[in-house]
Amino acid sequence: MTTDPLDALRLPIVPVEPRPEFADALLRRIESAGGEPAGGEPAGGEPAGGEPAGGEPVTVRYFVDDLAAAVGFYCGLLGFSEEVRSAPAFAMLYRGDLRLLLSVPGLPGAGRALPDGSLPAPGGWNRIALQVTDLAATVAELRDAGTRFRGEIAAGVGVRQILLQDPSGNLVELFEPGAGYREREQRPPSG
Amino acid sequence: MTTVSVRYIVNDVGAAIEFYRGHLGFSEVMHPDPAFAMLSRGDLRLVLVAPVPADHPGGGSRPMPDGRKQEPGGWNRFMIEVPDLAAAAEALRRDGVRFRNDVVTGIGTKQVMIEDPSGNPVELFEPTRPEARLDRR
Repeated sequence: MTTDPLDALRLPIVPVEPRPEFADALLRRIESAGGEPAGGEPAGGEPAGGEPAGGEPVTVRYFVDDLAAAVGFYCGLLGFSEEVRSAPAFAMLYRGDLRLLLSVPGLPGAGRALPDGSLPAPGGWNRIALQVTDLAATVAELRDAGTRFRGEIAAGVGVRQILLQDPSGNLVELFEPGAGYREREQRPPSG
Repeated sequence: MTTVSVRYIVNDVGAAIEFYRGHLGFSEVMHPDPAFAMLSRGDLRLVLVAPVPADHPGGGSRPMPDGRKQEPGGWNRFMIEVPDLAAAAEALRRDGVRFRNDVVTGIGTKQVMIEDPSGNPVELFEPTRPEARLDRR
């Protein structure tokens, strides 16, 4: 089936606020539309299984009470960039290979209640973990910016880490590799 | 290459390894301690930890200084793209995997939530718009 080359340029048909970030997003789509499809299609077949080819973003969904505050937090303090915002219910942010979806409980989309009426909520202990080069300095900067932490820096096996809270109380783990830290691949840490 | 790290709290690391390997295509990177394992799937590194006492060498799942214990659950989750959500859901149901909801159609994707043995959610999604595909960028 032939696909319309302009498909790549079409943004989601949802109400969006006019902001300069969209120009960047459009440019990226234009660039990617001109190139070869990277790495081919992910292997289909076995459901939910199989190791995908590398280079695909990893998607994580967080629930937040205040979309604007969350976008400000992740983009302003943690180096995320905003790709799509469909206020007030949804935003899509990127940071390297991490795609972070922010959804607001009680609003359309992933924030809808389950069939049994239970409503998604921010919080819990599961979290994304972001590597930093100087944890103490990062924590000091973030404290200066008025962010909240849960607990103090803890030294574990191979890493030192701390739990940062976003404005809705979701956790983001910041970690700094130490002597015992192992990567899966044998390659320079800067790779 | 694993570039994105996610930590899930689980009650039983062994059962969790089996779940993520057996049903979702993760591979085990290491499992050096009963309370800790590292798995990977594409660019996702999934760190599984069981709650440990404050004096345990593993730093990621100790209680907070105020005594609060880390536990599984919540709603935040990582997501896995599948080419055919209906087929994937059917196969997982056949395997006895627990579902938190039925397939719903959202903006750009169809999605469903499953639970690991500790009750942590994992979202499976099938893009229905090209923009929602992971290789769009």
